[in-house]
Amino acid sequence: MTPPVRTEEGGGHFGGRPPGALLSVRGLSKHYGGIQALDGVSLEIHAGQVHALVGANGAGKSTLVRILAGVETADEGEVSLGGRRVSISAPQDATKLGLSFIHQELNLVPKFTVLQNMALNYEGSRRLGLVDWRPVAARAGDVLAQLGADFPLDREVADLSVSQRWTVSLGRSLMRDARMVAMDEPTASFAADEAERLFAIVRDLAARGVAVLYISHRLDEVLDLSQDITVLRNGQLADRHRASDVDRQTLTRSIVGREVAEIERHEGSPDTVRDALMRIEGLVREPSVRGVTLDVRRGEILGIAGLVGAGRTELARLVFGAERAASGTMTLDGRRFEPKGPHEAIARGVALVPEERRSQGLLLKESLAFNVSLASSGQNRWRRGLPFLSAGKARAVAREMVERFAIKAHSVEADVESLSGGNQQKVVVSKYLRCQPRLLILDEPTVGVDVGARAELYEIIRARADAGTSVVMISSDFEEFAICDRVAVMREGRIETVVDGPHATKDTLTSLCYGTGAAGS
Amino acid sequence: MSEVTTPPQIAGPGHVEASGRDLNWWRVVGRYGAILVLLSIIVVFTVLEPSTFATKDNAINILNQSALVAIVAMGLTFPLVAGEFDLSVGYQASFGGVLAAGLIQKSGFPIPAAIGTVLVVTGLVGLITGLIVTRIGVNALIATLGVGTIVLGVNYAYTGGLPVQIDDPEGFIKLTFNSLFGIPYPVYVMLILAALLWVVLNRTSFGQSVQAVGGNAEAARLSGIRVDRVRVLTFMIAASCAGLTGVLLASRTGSGAVDGGDSYLLSAFAATFFGSAVLRDGQFHIVGTLIGVVTVAVGFNAMAILGLDTYYQYLFQGTLLIFAVGVGTVARRQAAARA
Ligand SMILES: Nc1ncnc2c1ncn2[C@@H]1O[C@H](COP(=O)(O)OP(=O)(O)OP(=O)(O)O)[C@@H](O)[C@H]1O
Ligand SMILES: [Mg+2]
Repeated sequence: MTPPVRTEEGGGHFGGRPPGALLSVRGLSKHYGGIQALDGVSLEIHAGQVHALVGANGAGKSTLVRILAGVETADEGEVSLGGRRVSISAPQDATKLGLSFIHQELNLVPKFTVLQNMALNYEGSRRLGLVDWRPVAARAGDVLAQLGADFPLDREVADLSVSQRWTVSLGRSLMRDARMVAMDEPTASFAADEAERLFAIVRDLAARGVAVLYISHRLDEVLDLSQDITVLRNGQLADRHRASDVDRQTLTRSIVGREVAEIERHEGSPDTVRDALMRIEGLVREPSVRGVTLDVRRGEILGIAGLVGAGRTELARLVFGAERAASGTMTLDGRRFEPKGPHEAIARGVALVPEERRSQGLLLKESLAFNVSLASSGQNRWRRGLPFLSAGKARAVAREMVERFAIKAHSVEADVESLSGGNQQKVVVSKYLRCQPRLLILDEPTVGVDVGARAELYEIIRARADAGTSVVMISSDFEEFAICDRVAVMREGRIETVVDGPHATKDTLTSLCYGTGAAGS
Repeated sequence: MSEVTTPPQIAGPGHVEASGRDLNWWRVVGRYGAILVLLSIIVVFTVLEPSTFATKDNAINILNQSALVAIVAMGLTFPLVAGEFDLSVGYQASFGGVLAAGLIQKSGFPIPAAIGTVLVVTGLVGLITGLIVTRIGVNALIATLGVGTIVLGVNYAYTGGLPVQIDDPEGFIKLTFNSLFGIPYPVYVMLILAALLWVVLNRTSFGQSVQAVGGNAEAARLSGIRVDRVRVLTFMIAASCAGLTGVLLASRTGSGAVDGGDSYLLSAFAATFFGSAVLRDGQFHIVGTLIGVVTVAVGFNAMAILGLDTYYQYLFQGTLLIFAVGVGTVARRQAAARA
């Protein structure tokens, strides 16, 4: 492919700025009912540059991307490409203009194979109305190899793990040679190794003259990858920065509108020799969990670090009864614990915030209030002993959670589908907190949650732990493990080692995960 | 391009914005269109035929006509809300009628015992259907078609294909012919059942579970809901409601006919789908189902008053269904586009 415009240096900085913007957006506005999702936002994206779009949950980032993609129509404003005004009223228009998208939510066809999914929307593969699969397969194979995919093209998407699905989704947007690629939180569900591969691809795209619009809540990668940063707040343009001119703290302040403390490393209390709430011994479910032995102590936050495919999600699902183990034993509070399903786990005080909010966590067409109470509807009884539920109580609980997690919604009766991605995530977390579990397992709880809300979420989790709840936290963002008392490192279906909180730095954990580190506790 | 604008004040946590600043007319059409159809039929005929249509007796008559379909349809609403189809309800209704008549006539059961037995037996058939769907994993459409056909066979075996006449039908017939305060019993049965089922679906944990299973079965399971059990129970409710309608039908005719209730299948499906376009955006619910049944009954009644041939009723019912659901669908699409 020949780059339309080439910067002097790959991922160029000041000197390399081409004269005009490739894509420019002027005065874009969009409202939903009473909510002004975008309010006169202007933006310029240059060829060969990575332009980051950041902002708190519900700031309007995804709305902007959806308008560019032709999925939504703006109320006002205009979009120009290469200096010419364009109208994008349907996704095909965007495709024809050479714009490519990775949306925040997965939209693959589960029943289709990887190849079929990647061929959707891939022009040039049709001959006489028939799909000629060979070039498509060749192209898809190349793209996936570049992304380090470890699954075949003929696998059904339904059989892939969440991060593998993201790889497919990412690959699909890279099939065509685009002039601009917009990525809405592409790394949210990726672990360190996959994220690294993505960064390489983003840099490569920029080096080839493609403009990249990059949305993320992980500010380190934003500062690392991008040249220009646009900050949205409540639908309005709040700040513009050059990445070289700002540091993380300034950027955070600019996003949240106030000071946010960095994650404080939890210095374990001296009496760390608390007894175990849950004991797991020799838990096996091939191929992903191959003999896990682990204790979860009372009132601790135990992190589980690992790379993709290490078996962390599967381990969590076994403990929660979402899947049955082939062998091994678990005890909770000294009593046997063999949940036949999530209902038994919840009844005994074990809750799991699942990995993927839309398919596993939410009823998108139901209200916020309905979703928050779903796992604990027994607590909404009208009166004790009667089987009737009070709608008022459900609303009251939802309001409390909206308050506590700063969920941005126009009312607790709003469909969850209408919330922004990060706010949907907060709904899932509050649903399981409402169960008042004794053991709370969180699988990537902060996916899509903005910096400010993330800090608040840690505080809430810490407070729960201090009140006696045991917490197990799986995260791909190793910096989050700073709040943990201990961190277990999982590799190839087994627990490699357990590191004490103060030693669980990002570098130590990363090298342990790759199996190259010698550090231990 | 590195100027920094002064940041506007951020809204506090839990910031709740006013909603409904601008009314979305398409949404109104989508939700209330079906009710408008009902109201306009009523208004038009009240004006045209004040002496025959707009009378208390006729209103009661319409409700009485609605009762039997309504009971099947409200029961059917449960599996539909849970995301499953039940094609066996018509045959189950016939079965309920045949069994009730048979128990009274052939086995000498007292009436209450016969009714109770019918409810239990049809409930068990629903249980079997549910287990076939959840345990074996047969698609509900096929499982209920299969079970329904078997039930039809049982009907023939039990009766030899002839209607079961009750020799001394008086006590049994009273069930549907007697009235209280001028309103026939079936209307009470319908209304009480509607209230009961509404509460179950909207104000109990079980009802929430049914809705959750229909919305996203995996999310429901991970929320601690026993998805399979919920599904089985919805089939049981649908079956027992159909059985009850069968009993009332047998009482009305004084006999149990092998295929007496078969036609309830289509009427019940029409009513529930019509109802899904009432007040909600394409979700099944009890009130909608009830309105669906009544709308069709009002239309039939109006046509009877006009002296139109029977086939007009079917033309009307079919057109109405497609119209209501179609308008709802278009309106929802438009409402979404302009939200
Ligand atoms: N279909 C919709 N109906 C109603 N409101 C909507 C809809 N889509 C988005 N909104 C509202 O618009 C606002 C902006 O949402 P958007 O998804 O663009 O946020 P975002 O910046 O991408 O947030 P996040 O970081 O959480 O993904 C939010 O307040 C959201 O509730
Ligand atoms: Mg978003």
